[in-house]
Formats: sequence, structure tokens, C-alpha cells
Amino acid sequence: MSESSETIAIETAKSGSTMNTFQRIWEFIERSLVWGGDRLNPILVKETRQALKSRQFMVTFGLLLFCGWIWSILGVAMIGPDIHYGARGAEMFVGYYCILAFPLLVIVPFGAFRGLTSEKEDRTYDLLSITALRPRQIVSGKLGSAFLQMAIYLSAISPCLGFTYMLRGIDFPTIIAFLFYLILASAAFSMIAMLLSTLTGSKHWQIVLSVFVIGGLLCGFWAACVIAVESFDRGGTSIPIDDKWFWIGNAMFLTAYVSYFALVFLAAAAQLTFASDNRSTRLRIVMIVQHALFTGWMAWIWLTEHGEEEIALVYMILAGLQWYILGGLMTGETPELSNRAKRNLPQSLLGRVFLAGLYPGPGTGYMLAVTGMLSCVVMAVAALLVAEVIGSFGIYQFQRMSFDEAIKYIAIGYIGFCYVIIYLGLGLLLLRFVKRFTRPTILMAGLTQVALLMIGCGVPMVIQFSLVSLRNARYSLLQIPSPIWTLVYLIDRRGWRSEMPLLLIVLSLAAMFIFLINVPSVARQVQAIRVAKPKRVAEEDAQLDELKHGPQQPARTSPWDD
Amino acid sequence: MIDSNTMIEFRGLFRHFGQTKAVDGVSFGVERGTVFGFIGPNGAGKTTSMRILATLDQPTAGDAFVDGFSVVEDPDRVRHRLGFMPDYTGTYPNVNVREYLDFFARAYHLRGAKRERAVEEVMDFTGLDVLADKPTDGLSKGMRQRLCLGRALIHDPTVLVLDEPAAGLDPRARIELREMIRDLAAKGKTVLISSHILTELSEVCDTVGIIEQGRLLAVGAVDAIQHPRHKARQAKKVMEIRLIGDTQAAAEWLAANAQIEKPQTDGQKISFLFDGDRQQQADLLRAMIMADFQVESFGSRRQSLEDVFMQVTEGLVQ
Repeated sequence: MSESSETIAIETAKSGSTMNTFQRIWEFIERSLVWGGDRLNPILVKETRQALKSRQFMVTFGLLLFCGWIWSILGVAMIGPDIHYGARGAEMFVGYYCILAFPLLVIVPFGAFRGLTSEKEDRTYDLLSITALRPRQIVSGKLGSAFLQMAIYLSAISPCLGFTYMLRGIDFPTIIAFLFYLILASAAFSMIAMLLSTLTGSKHWQIVLSVFVIGGLLCGFWAACVIAVESFDRGGTSIPIDDKWFWIGNAMFLTAYVSYFALVFLAAAAQLTFASDNRSTRLRIVMIVQHALFTGWMAWIWLTEHGEEEIALVYMILAGLQWYILGGLMTGETPELSNRAKRNLPQSLLGRVFLAGLYPGPGTGYMLAVTGMLSCVVMAVAALLVAEVIGSFGIYQFQRMSFDEAIKYIAIGYIGFCYVIIYLGLGLLLLRFVKRFTRPTILMAGLTQVALLMIGCGVPMVIQFSLVSLRNARYSLLQIPSPIWTLVYLIDRRGWRSEMPLLLIVLSLAAMFIFLINVPSVARQVQAIRVAKPKRVAEEDAQLDELKHGPQQPARTSPWDD
Repeated sequence: MIDSNTMIEFRGLFRHFGQTKAVDGVSFGVERGTVFGFIGPNGAGKTTSMRILATLDQPTAGDAFVDGFSVVEDPDRVRHRLGFMPDYTGTYPNVNVREYLDFFARAYHLRGAKRERAVEEVMDFTGLDVLADKPTDGLSKGMRQRLCLGRALIHDPTVLVLDEPAAGLDPRARIELREMIRDLAAKGKTVLISSHILTELSEVCDTVGIIEQGRLLAVGAVDAIQHPRHKARQAKKVMEIRLIGDTQAAAEWLAANAQIEKPQTDGQKISFLFDGDRQQQADLLRAMIMADFQVESFGSRRQSLEDVFMQVTEGLVQ
């Protein structure tokens, strides 16, 4: 072989080995992409394919680009020569922000709403629901599709946003913060819209709902634009990243956002879950986690603020409202547990007593709400007492208040607790009566509580206003059934009112009476016991186990067994 | 008790919508690898029963089982075993045939080469391979039905529930669909099929069930239903007479005979149910000739599924 041909052979071998390396890398990348693609949510894949071919997406994307381009020209023309000397980026940013906000706050969430309603209209949802996809996968697929659209719209406008940064007058963290909150708002709107789309299958209600959804989304879009314009009008062109409370406020907001998002997500998935499955336990766990997070934040603020007693009051009011609303909805659940749900019930007595609140049923929901509210009052009382004791020893500098003052706050919390027991208990009794005629629903339970509140607050108010002697009174004992008037009056005065002893006695007795009436039905639900899997299910589970872990060895009965 | 060979079982199934009893205590079973025809007039409760079996609806009382799994308590396990073809297609806009099947394959957790193979096999079986890139909303009725069948087959279910699969199809498409169902049965799949085209069902089905007003009126093998052996002597025959001349007068004359039921004239032809043996048939013919009717042809034929259906049902609607 000649020298030149040897050189060519070496070069070829070298390039071949380089090619092999590239090929191997490429094959690895391709394999990884295929692996990843296989594991993507099927709905995300389908909706992306559909969206990229749909006219609506093309029009929205085109309009977004066109509006961005128009605003670039108009904005620059309006600023004029000042663009070279002044810091006018913020003004341009507001325009682009509003242009981006429309698809993100209106188009994407409404698309998420229509995504499920159109599946129901076209009856493709039936076909989807009988596949192996779980309801959570269906919801997360639709949500993933919404996120993907957000990302595409954001990427379309991002050169314009980069342009605003170069114009000066707005810093990078501010741009990021505004976009971040816009995306959070879009995701929240999409999630709520999706929950609403699961509420009804009838066409006329869907039309009514879609009008409300469109109206709500347009209001949200308008609010986002106003907030942006107002923020920059007041000279706030940069976010206070050096301020500790800015980060604390954001962390608190995000904690609430994530927990409520999870709650709405699981509620939407529960709406799509088949009737015999347990739709409630996950939601209840999120409620408890949310309560724990809220308690944690309030405790932290309370410690930071050296035991400010107002915080205990705010804590009890907010937590009371939360448990009242959630408890009201939970009382609409069906009291009959399916055999499927019973398969996972706790077996021990202690388990049944302590975990009963996590299992579906109106009675267990009532218990959970009452226990949640009780824990708030106990925490608030403990906090006030701790402040009193530790403060007296001087271990930590707490704001001191008198024992009488602490008692007043505790009394207000206790009265709120009694109202929660009374109203939820009355709702539960009413729904039990309604069950004789029709199956109660969660919506029905919510409306029952609204009706009870309207009667409880409205009737005494009408009577008081119609009596000449009481018309101008700030408060009268006629208002005992009215939680709003009574609590607002007590919180507003914050003093020990003369009516307080009577309120405490009457409301305690009423709460105890209504609670005791409800105890038998609650006890019946707590007494539900675990049932064994059907033979066929157990057989299949054993087969699957064997496939997964190999054949099971017979259990050893003595140390001498092989 | 469920027989291990019973793939589908309805056990005292009830489904009420207010006062309407859509399904009223239906109980029957379908053996592994057989084709069961579900016959009934509109509003009889066929679709409701099938939707319950497909886990799309909940019974008011009773239960249904697929391979021993309850559709109420274990719908997730039922869904893995069951392919449902409803009486509507359910296609998505902006999705072609391959993408549509690929989506449902993914939805049944089929991955990689297994998914690709499933899509190819289904397209090959249903003859959709030539239309793989065509948008689903642009397909003809027949092709949509094939697509719907393909979707139901994508995860290779052991039980197939087909609700009016031949509705709206032209004769060729019907014959092709019938062939496909035969192929599926030959592959060991259990098929529950409803149809209004009774002649087709009798050719495809091993057993049939007749339902009206939510109640199951008759169930059994096609032959047994057409010619119940235990009632062989008493069975009414379908007689057909072709006449020359006045058929109306002949029909009136026949109606006066106590052994004759439901005489119907169709041109020069009169058909009726005759409750009698061969000798009595001969006597009837002689009597007609003696009564000066010009009989061109006289004979009985086997009861078709349509005849049985007409006898058993009363055309009642809810």
C-alpha cells in the first residue's frame, strides 16, 4: 500500500470513529427523546398536535405578533426622540404586557374550559373516560396543554420584552416578576375554568357557564392591565427585591396559591372520577396540609410580631371561614360508601376514630370541619396563653396583655366555633331530610348553607329594622342567629360586651344540641368497616404481584424450615 | 356464581331515569369467544345496558361483570379488558387517522414499538392503512365506523361491545364489517353486538337476547330461538301463499280460520302464522281450492329472527 493510500485509510478510520461517536450520541439522544415522548401525557401530545394545526391558534399567534409589532411602532412613535435619552422601557413594557395578557388570561383559560366541554359535546369524553387514563391524568394533560400554549405565546412576545429592557426604565427582576405572576394567574384561571367545565354535562348549563367564564376572564384581564398600568404610573418601575417583607409576602402568597391550586386540581379530577371510587380523601388531605401551612405562617408572623394578639384573631376568622366553606361543601357528599372505597378503610378502632375525617361522607366531613375549627381555637388559645406565660418570665419579648383581654379574644373565637358547628350541623340535618326525595349533591350543600345564612342573618335583621325600639340599636339579642352581625359587632368593639355571657351560653347550648343530634349519623359512618377485595380482584392482584416480584415463597412456619 | 368461562354477565341490572325504567332486571351471561346479539326496538334499553357494561353509566341496582370484574366496583379493571364501540364515532378535529389511533394507544399505556405495532395492526385489520394520513373528520361514514372499531381494538381487549355498528353503512361496508366481527370471534374475542338489522345478527351471532321496555324477553342460541325444540309440535309456522285474483277476499277468508294469526297481504302474496301440522296444512290448501281461490303457490318457511322478534316483542315504547 502506498503512503498516500495509507494516509487516506487512517483519515477514513479516524472520521469513521468520529462518525461512530456522533452516531452513538445521536442515537442516544433519539432513544432518550422516544423514551421521554412515550412517557408524555397522551392528552398533551394529542392537544399539541391539534393546537398546532388549529385555526384558532394560528389566528391568536398571528394577532399577538401583529399587535406586538404595531405597539413597537406606535410606542416608539409616541415616545419620539426621547427614546434615545430617557428611560422609557416601562411604558413600552405595559403595552406588551397587556397584549400578552389577553391570550394568557382569556384565550388560554377559555381554551381549557372548552377543552373539556367540547369533549363532552362531541361525546369524545366518553371514549376518553373508558381508557386507562386516570382522571388526574386527563386534568393534568389539559393543564399541560394550557402551559404549552402559554409558553408559545410568551416566546412570541419575548423579543419585544427584551427590547423594553434595552430601552432602560425597567429592570430584569421586575420584568420576570410581572411575567411570573401573569403565568400564575393564567394557570389559576385555566384550572378554575377546567373545574367549572366538569360541573355540568347539560348543554344549556354549559352555555350559561361559558358566558360567566368569558365574563370572569375579561374582568381578570382588565384587572391585570389596570394593576400593571397603576404600578408603573406610581413610579414603581422596579420591585423591592431588598425588602424582606416582599419575599415573605411572596412566599405566603405562593403557599396559598399552591395549596388552593392543588385543591382545585383535585376537585376537578374528583368530578371526573367514577362514582364508586374514593373522591374525597385526597382533597381532605390537601385541606389539612393547607390548614397546617396556614397555621405555620400565622405562628411565624405571630412570633415575629412578638405575640400581637390581633394575629390570633385574624387566624381564627380566616380559618373559621375556610372550614365553614369547605365543611359546607363536604356535607353534600353521599353517605353510602361503596365497597371499593371500603376496601381501604382503617381496620383498627383507633384508626377509625382518628382517620375517619379523611374518608368520604357528609358526617365525616362535618367532623373534619369541626375538628379543624376546634384546632384553630385551641391553637389561638395556646398562643395567647404561651405569650402570657413566656412573657411573664421574660424569656421572649411578647406584647403583654391582661388575662381579661386574652379571654375576650378567646371568647370571640369560641363563638365563631359555635356558629360553624350550628350552621354545618343544620345543613347536615336538612340534607338528610332532602335525601328522602333526591340524592344531595355538593352544589346543593353549598346552596343550603347560603340559604341558611341568608335566613339566619336576614330574618333577624328584618325584624330588628321593623321594630321602632331596636331600629337604631347597634346590636340586639335578636341577632344571635346572625353570625355576621354578631361577630362583626364583637370584633369591632373588641371589648367585653354585656351580651357576651348570654351569647356564650345560648350558642354553646345550641351548638351542643345540634352536634348531639348529628352524632348518630356521624357514628354510623365512622363505624363502617373494611371489606375484603372480591375474589377475582385478589386473584389478579396476586398474579400481578407474581409477575412483578416473582413467585412468592411459602411462609416459614419454624426456624428449621428450609 | 360466575362461571369462569362467562366473560360478560348482567346480574339483575336495573337503570331508572325518573319514572322511566330503561333497564328492568336484565340478567344473562355471554360465554368466552362467542358473539351475542342484543335485539330490541328503539328505546328498549340496549344502549343503556351497553353503556353500563362499558362503565359509562351506573346501574340503579344490580351489577354487570366483565371477566368476573364488577363494572361498578372495579371499572378500571373492566376498561383494560373491554373495547367499546358506541353508536357515534367521536372524532377529533385536526387529527388524522394514525394520530387518532396513536392517541388511544397511548391512553391505554402502550409504549414504543408495542404502540406502533398496535396502530399498524389495527389499521391493517380495519383497512384504514391507506387512509392513515387523512383527517378523521373528513372520513366517510363507513370509514369512521372502521376507525371506531379500530379504536375499540387498539388495546387488544378480550371483550368487545358494539352498539349498532352497521347503522348507516352501505351493503358492501356491512358485509365487510360482518367479516371483521367473524374474524374477531375466531380470534377468541367475546362480542356483544346490538343491531336493528336482524338478518345480519342471525348470521354472525351464536346467541341472541331480545329486549323490550328494559326487560329481557328471550335469550338463547339463534337456532334454539328460531326453532324451540321443546315447543316443536306447538310451534307456529310462517305460511306464504301466492294467489291469482282477489287477495283481499282470501285474506278475509283466512282470518276467519281459528288456526291462522296475523294474516298480512303484500301484493299477490299473503303471509300468516299457522298453528297446525302438515296434515292440517294440506287440509287448508284443499279448503282454499274448494272455496274457488286460485292458489299459485302454497308453502311454509323457517321462522327468521325477524319473525321471532315480531312475535316476542309488542312494539311498545317508553
